[in-house]
Amino acid sequence: MNTNTFYVNIPGRQGDKRIPSRVLEEMIQNAVEQGHRAIEVNAYGQHGIGGRLWKAGSDKIKIRIQGQSGQRTGSLGFPNTEIEVMGPASDDIGWLNAGAEIVVHGNASNGVMNGAAQGKVYIGGNIGARGMTMTKRNPRFEPPELWVIGSAGDYFGEFMAGGIAVVCGYNSSRDLHPRKDGRDESNSILSQSVLGYRPLVGMVGGKVFCRGDATGFSKNDAKVIPITDLDWDWLCINLKVFLQKINKLQLFDNLSKRSEWTLIRAKTPQEKLIGKGRLSMQSFRQDVWDRELGKGGLIGDLQEVERGAIPLITKGDLRRMVPMWEHAKYKAPCQANCPTGIPVQERWHLIRQGLADEATSMGLKYTPFPATVCGYLCPNPCMASCTKNLQYMTPVNVKLLGRAGESSELPLDALPSVAEKSGKRIAVIGAGPGGISVAWHLTLKGHEAVLFDESKQIGGKISSVIPDSRLPKETLNKELERVKKFIPDIRLEQKITPKSFQKIKKEFDYVIVAAGARKPRMLPIQGVEFAISANDFLAKAKENQSNQTDTFIKAIRLKENQTKAVDSQVKTGENQAQAIDNQIKPLKKVVIIGAGNVGCDVATEAHRMGAETITLIDVQKPAAFGKEKEDAEAVGATFQWPCFTREITPNGVILDDGETLEADTVVISIGDVPDTEFLGKDIATRNGFVSVNEFNQTSDSAVFAIGDIVGPGLLTHAIGAGKRTAEAIDSIINGKEPKPVDARKEIDKSRISLEYFNPMIKSYNSLEECGSECASCGRCRDCSICVHVCPESAIDRFESEDGSYEYRADPQKCIGCGFCTGACPCGIWNLVSNTAV
Amino acid sequence: MSSNRTIKPSSLSVSDLPWQIDWKKERCTLCGQCTAVCPVQAISLSVFRKRNIAAINPSNLLNSSSRAASKSFVCSSNQTDSSEFSQPIGSFNQFNAEEQPLSPFETYYGIRQKTSIEEACIGCAMCSMVCPNDAIQPHRNHEIDRYRFHINQDGEPRKRGGRRNSTASLLDRIKFIRISMLTDPALDAGRHEFELRTLLGRILPPKENMECLRNNGWIPPVREIYPLIIGGMSFGALSPTMWEGLQMGVAYLNEQLGMPVRISTGEGGCPPRLLRSRFLKYVILQIASGYFGWDEIIHAIPHMKEDPCAIEVKYGQGAKPGDGGLLMWHKVNKLIAAIRGVPQGVSLPSPPTHQTQYSIEESVAKMIISMSMAWGFRVPVYPKISASSTSLAVLNNLTRNEYASGLVIDGEDGGTGAAYSVSMDHMGHPIASCIRDNYLNLVHLGKQNEIPIFAGGGIGKNGNLAANAAALIMLGASGVQIGKYVMQAAAGCIGTETDRCNMCNTGVCPKGITSQDPRLYRRLDPEDVAQRIVELFVSFDIELKKIVAPLGRSTSLPIGMSDALGIDDYQVAQRLNIKYVV
Repeated sequence: MNTNTFYVNIPGRQGDKRIPSRVLEEMIQNAVEQGHRAIEVNAYGQHGIGGRLWKAGSDKIKIRIQGQSGQRTGSLGFPNTEIEVMGPASDDIGWLNAGAEIVVHGNASNGVMNGAAQGKVYIGGNIGARGMTMTKRNPRFEPPELWVIGSAGDYFGEFMAGGIAVVCGYNSSRDLHPRKDGRDESNSILSQSVLGYRPLVGMVGGKVFCRGDATGFSKNDAKVIPITDLDWDWLCINLKVFLQKINKLQLFDNLSKRSEWTLIRAKTPQEKLIGKGRLSMQSFRQDVWDRELGKGGLIGDLQEVERGAIPLITKGDLRRMVPMWEHAKYKAPCQANCPTGIPVQERWHLIRQGLADEATSMGLKYTPFPATVCGYLCPNPCMASCTKNLQYMTPVNVKLLGRAGESSELPLDALPSVAEKSGKRIAVIGAGPGGISVAWHLTLKGHEAVLFDESKQIGGKISSVIPDSRLPKETLNKELERVKKFIPDIRLEQKITPKSFQKIKKEFDYVIVAAGARKPRMLPIQGVEFAISANDFLAKAKENQSNQTDTFIKAIRLKENQTKAVDSQVKTGENQAQAIDNQIKPLKKVVIIGAGNVGCDVATEAHRMGAETITLIDVQKPAAFGKEKEDAEAVGATFQWPCFTREITPNGVILDDGETLEADTVVISIGDVPDTEFLGKDIATRNGFVSVNEFNQTSDSAVFAIGDIVGPGLLTHAIGAGKRTAEAIDSIINGKEPKPVDARKEIDKSRISLEYFNPMIKSYNSLEECGSECASCGRCRDCSICVHVCPESAIDRFESEDGSYEYRADPQKCIGCGFCTGACPCGIWNLVSNTAV
Repeated sequence: MSSNRTIKPSSLSVSDLPWQIDWKKERCTLCGQCTAVCPVQAISLSVFRKRNIAAINPSNLLNSSSRAASKSFVCSSNQTDSSEFSQPIGSFNQFNAEEQPLSPFETYYGIRQKTSIEEACIGCAMCSMVCPNDAIQPHRNHEIDRYRFHINQDGEPRKRGGRRNSTASLLDRIKFIRISMLTDPALDAGRHEFELRTLLGRILPPKENMECLRNNGWIPPVREIYPLIIGGMSFGALSPTMWEGLQMGVAYLNEQLGMPVRISTGEGGCPPRLLRSRFLKYVILQIASGYFGWDEIIHAIPHMKEDPCAIEVKYGQGAKPGDGGLLMWHKVNKLIAAIRGVPQGVSLPSPPTHQTQYSIEESVAKMIISMSMAWGFRVPVYPKISASSTSLAVLNNLTRNEYASGLVIDGEDGGTGAAYSVSMDHMGHPIASCIRDNYLNLVHLGKQNEIPIFAGGGIGKNGNLAANAAALIMLGASGVQIGKYVMQAAAGCIGTETDRCNMCNTGVCPKGITSQDPRLYRRLDPEDVAQRIVELFVSFDIELKKIVAPLGRSTSLPIGMSDALGIDDYQVAQRLNIKYVV
């Protein structure tokens, strides 16, 4: 310091009284204003001495402080100001410094240069906590500098945002008398670092030169960088200046050993983002986790672990769901609901392929009466159950398919092929639809079936009682001819008695009883003898039509009837026929008791034969349905119910409530019961019907029973039972346990996509159209929609040499989306859970 | 499927379902990804029929005497090529050309939502996640869905995972009102060091501790741990990848960041390798009424390099208080079976109660001493109970048991992998008042610094983890346990309080968190989970400091510092003995 300068003295107290900080500030400002440029203050702890001295303009102002400088000496200092504190300094020296140069010859306490932006502070001792905190650098000016000869207190450089700090770490005892072992003699742990405890937390700018240990600084915020020659030159030049200011130039050589210095600077924001000095998780897993636990980590000893995440959409084994081509895995509803089990959907598929004859032939593998029954007489449960009904779409017309056989000029050798002869002989009693069916199927399987029937013709009720109006005679004849060709041994007019039955049993390997229910049920009421059974009526009517005899109806009054007619079924002969004729006459007013479909047939026939009023009565809502009912209604028959018949008189039917329904002809049509007498007592019956197991086997294992003798049903029930029974017997003959040949379940109709079909088409005109409009439930129609819909092109069609084909999804392409399932018109594709890994 | 059908009482329409799929035909590319990813097969490709009726001028219809005439009119006026009237691709009808209806049908493909109970959309939105064109997303039904009235098929009430499905949160409403600026030395979350650690174990006063040591040669074990603990979620309830990720993250926090975070195993055993590793010290082994995996743990004791952090004796779970659990046989695969020490493919019931314990005294005494003995009384042992009006009785009992190291109380908002909805929604006690009562009881006994209480159940359920945790700590908890939050934050669990997903119990977790199917759990990479665990804890730590620093009182965990708490509900304030602020 230039001691020649003249200093004006400003005292810090007057007498015993301390001058307040406010007054001292006023005195200093006045002195400057008066032109003084060197001022000595004898301070007594006044606040902020030496700051804010702008009144000197560009002149330099020197402030020398003797005594106790107060807090914030030189705060808000201007660039023209030079302050020299001759002793120690209190808190916050150089606070918010905007350019003043401050020299302290002693120690400075906390907060040195806090918030400073310019200026220089030279400390000739140590500093307290939070020195050089929140300092910053304004690009318009030189950065602030803090020079400390000793060390810094705790939390040095917090939030430092600019400026340069130089901490020389000079400790007189250590630096002048270093221990031989190099250990720090200080007792304080904190003093091991010349920057104190936790320095540079939150530092974002500036740099710090320090001499000695600085390892405790915040590594998140700052980093050590090499001291360049430029840095070193700057440090040496300015270190000399600093030492000169604090009168310790002699230390220069001691302090200017480059290797003792460390330079720390704030990390850039970019540097803070990368690498916090920790392992990456990947390295941690590999080098720490797996090393401690073993290969494969936590459970590597318990299971194979494939590393790495898999995507949401997977292929191959990693698919959760896989599509299955379930062609023909289920029955179509038509097949499932056909009592005969005809695979209607397969026949339509043949039609679609242009193979009409094959479609007809296929029918013959299931039924001897595709035209008669499917085409005419059957109420067609296949159509009733058709999936298309779900949307009120018209089921494809199976009647057309059935009747296709009529016109077909299939040669006889187009009959189904017959298996190798087994040599087994089976008697079939009753050549009605059930008996013919079982004989047909046994013949197909290579067994010799012999048909017995008590009537003159085969066909049972089809031939005897079903009105010709419901079935062209030629169609029936053609099918019966085919049966006769196929089954050579048919023995007609064979009345079976208990004795002859036993004989047949002995003669044949198996006996199948298909004698039907031909005994009409009559009512246990007075006057029942005045009525005629429906069967007798219909048979007579049919005979009448066959004979084309208009004189058939002879005038025989009801009251002349005989009670014998009641058991007409067991009687034959002219007198009985006569009696029936008697009952029918005069056929003007007809009452039919029992309004089922047979009753309707009676009504229709009665009308044909000239009846004027026809009334069907029933104890409950009439069970009649379908074509029969429609026909009866069309001829003007009326239905009455509930009506309970009390008595039949020559004048008609008297009901329980006393009402009389006038009639000249009364027909009882309440069903038929079988005649099981000829079977003897060994074969169990129940409620008049023969008891059978699921394979139609009776209590005698060699005797089977099918058709109405087992229980009432449709023609197709009897035909189906015939087929199943033939299959069961075939199994037994072959030494196998009989079981259902086709145990497949019906397909879930919700799998079918009817949206492909036009709901406004209400009728079909041709087989081809039906084939096209058939939804082909559960039966792949080979349309390849799946191939086109698959988003991964995973599905291909594979064809075998025999012409059969299948569709397969390539696991390596398929993602298990189920689009094939959703788009398949026939419900073939199914999306199922993949097998567990 | 046919739109016309017979219906049953439980036949539902899309409008009846809780979640509805919004599919945009014009954006969809029909790539199949949404249907492939859907965990419950709620959507499928479907065939649609679209009827296009050409505009017909009625006067022309009146003028024409026959249908044929009008038809020809439509044809000509429409000015379209003949393909308009030919059948579209996908229709099989090539016949009846003469009787072709006036209005042709078009067939197209699209995504349809199924309406069966078992295939109802769960709102997980995985379809949205995979859709390349943003063409599909589920929407919550704003009505009370009808689905809930029919899910009890076969008489089996709804079970699910998740929480109570209530977004209401008392903890969210608690404010930290004591902000120190000049009244106390202001602390700075970024600058000051905080000792945000808590003690797990019986902390005797120094004098008593010294006496205990002198007289018994033993003092109660105490662990200094991080106050945010990962609560018990078993190996089995969680997938192997999830479990490993959690453990790895915890190990990383301990070994790389020096945060003493601890994790409970839940009841399902512990993989043998972990038992024999140094990482065991970060693990709290849970024992519950099923005792699964405990023989494997016993076999491992002689080989343990480290003692476990603690033993948690589970008596109850906040989500389904008083109810047990059942791990269905189909989830008990080879791995789970090995870890739990059971054969494969058997159902594993955890009964609601421990069978041989008939009273609080017996339960506490027997279990705590047995477990303490297993590790030479070096390991803290504490019970975990569901919050209840009877919790105080348990706590009082613990205060009289020298080996009891703490108490975990799990509140009604806790999550679970599987519980009956009725248990989840209607059983249980809120955590705040339960913790408060128990803490004030300890204060009353002068033991508030002796036996730590930990809180669990719905902490952070609306995302406010640090605030909820801090509130509970200031109400008196020494720390908190979290489970569901971890799944959400560290593994991307999409379950919400509006009943989104919540299918943890069915094994189809679309994020692979609660599934034992490698096709699902391999979607999750343990490393990613571990990384997120680290991020979760580090950010929680910052947030917790952001809360406690301005309180300015201390750089240690402010347990029971309830003068910092306020709430805008007078009754609640009275009940919790905190300030009422409006």
